Amino acid sequence: MKLNRALMRSRVLPLLVWICGLLVLWEAVSWWLLHVAKTPLAQSKLPYVHEVALTLWQYSGTLLREGGATFGNAGVGFLIGALSGVLLAVLMSLSRTIEQLAFPYAVASQMIPILGLAPIIYGIVRDEQMSRIIISGYITFFPVALNMLRGLRSVDPSALELMHSYAAKPWAVYWKLRFPAALPGLFSGLKIAATLAVTGAILVELMGAQRGIGVIMLRNLYYGPSHTYMFWSTVLVGALLGMASYWLMSLVERLVAPWQPEFRPQGGSR
Amino acid sequence: MDSNTIREFTSSNNVISPDTEQGGDPWKFLKWLNPGFVLPLLAGALFLLLWELQIFHRIFDLKKYQLPLPSAIAEAMRDNLSLLLSYTGYTLTEAVLGMLIGSSCGFLIALAATAWPRWGGGSLTMVAALNAVPIVALAPIMNLWFGDGIGSRAAIVTATTMAAMAINAYKGMAAVDPLALDLMHSYAAGKRAVFRHLRIQNSLPYVFTALKINATASMIGAIVGEFFFSSRGLGYLLSNSIKVAKMPLGWACIVLAAIAGVIFYLVVERLEKVFIKWHPSRRA
Repeated sequence: MKLNRALMRSRVLPLLVWICGLLVLWEAVSWWLLHVAKTPLAQSKLPYVHEVALTLWQYSGTLLREGGATFGNAGVGFLIGALSGVLLAVLMSLSRTIEQLAFPYAVASQMIPILGLAPIIYGIVRDEQMSRIIISGYITFFPVALNMLRGLRSVDPSALELMHSYAAKPWAVYWKLRFPAALPGLFSGLKIAATLAVTGAILVELMGAQRGIGVIMLRNLYYGPSHTYMFWSTVLVGALLGMASYWLMSLVERLVAPWQPEFRPQGGSR
Repeated sequence: MDSNTIREFTSSNNVISPDTEQGGDPWKFLKWLNPGFVLPLLAGALFLLLWELQIFHRIFDLKKYQLPLPSAIAEAMRDNLSLLLSYTGYTLTEAVLGMLIGSSCGFLIALAATAWPRWGGGSLTMVAALNAVPIVALAPIMNLWFGDGIGSRAAIVTATTMAAMAINAYKGMAAVDPLALDLMHSYAAGKRAVFRHLRIQNSLPYVFTALKINATASMIGAIVGEFFFSSRGLGYLLSNSIKVAKMPLGWACIVLAAIAGVIFYLVVERLEKVFIKWHPSRRA
């Protein structure tokens, strides 16, 4: 316990110093731009941190509501995409034909700039809610399927032989061996996809929607210098949403698959 | 990480296939008929045919102006070929430039994080946090900073590619064989020598994995950046042609972007083959 706390301190302290240092640097550069360099639109380029924080606090209700809407939409698409990704991975691991059919396209689709499809999907569906869910789902689908399939396939052969020697039913093999083995892969796919899903959701909002953080971001950008702080607040909220989705996935991973090496306390100091 | 998956899969397929077709040399042409090759090709052709015959339009109740036919896309591509090619070049320039800057920054961060773990580790966390920031939030800021020229998109791509490189290269530098490290210690090798002869070598495969991830990510970054403030490039043309309801042209942009992305990826993969020939995963 004591060791654990020392470990925490040695890891958290540098991070805190980093964050504080960056904030101070930001504030200083902002002051410098405004008063020394006198660049045009200085506050739009790099506003004072405390002003942004103040705006963030003042409009926290609006920002929270709109951010929540974005997060919810991204989440629904994410869940649908993840579920179908897992389903496809299981199907591919069951049948070689399905894998041969689907896998080349799964790989090829990684090459298509998926976010580039956003305006096209919006153009087809013409419904912000639907297209947001489709984009988030599409983004989630392939990383999850590919990583999950790798996990399902990477089972220790001797463990598989042991299961066979016990005459285990196929579902028992899946439930007790393959799924646990696939969890780390599944989560690395989910972590890649989570932030992208948020990006996709905001992207749709920027292209024309009623609600969401992207809408007020765009609105405040067009209003010009008087709305600088609000604009930066929305950018910060967007950034926080992305990070929150990543942290959420890491948290779930820690709860569901806690045996992975990176969660073990590290010894030594090398 | 997904590119890594792809490589592992392709290599594992290569390992399996010699066992499954023990036909010998006379049957070599049968390799082209093996189900792993023909099935997806057939499925793709069927998909395109169904699309062309407007089956999808009937199922999902779409109009032709919403989802243009493949023939219309091909026609749009032929009509605007020179424009499309020049815009593809522009977007690709942004992507490559941003990726080169971003990847070298990421590599330097990884070096620092390995050399001074206590304080450098914090920078790694910061970069990972930057990676979680949506591109769409970065785009307007970069535009304010760097104007609407090539610089702002290169900056967006830089920011999005830095993290993958930093994290992967760090993994490679940290995961050196402990025995090799002990050997270096027993030779009284300094930190610099350990880096030069051991850690950098060891990180190369990870570096190339990151480069492959970044090749696709940087195309996305450049295109999404062009959605907002740009007067050139594939992303600009794409969002613009959707706005004026020229869907075939929009699809042509996507097709070209995909092709450019694949070429970019293949170039990186080719470089990988050249540079890390010695690595076990590359040996036949």
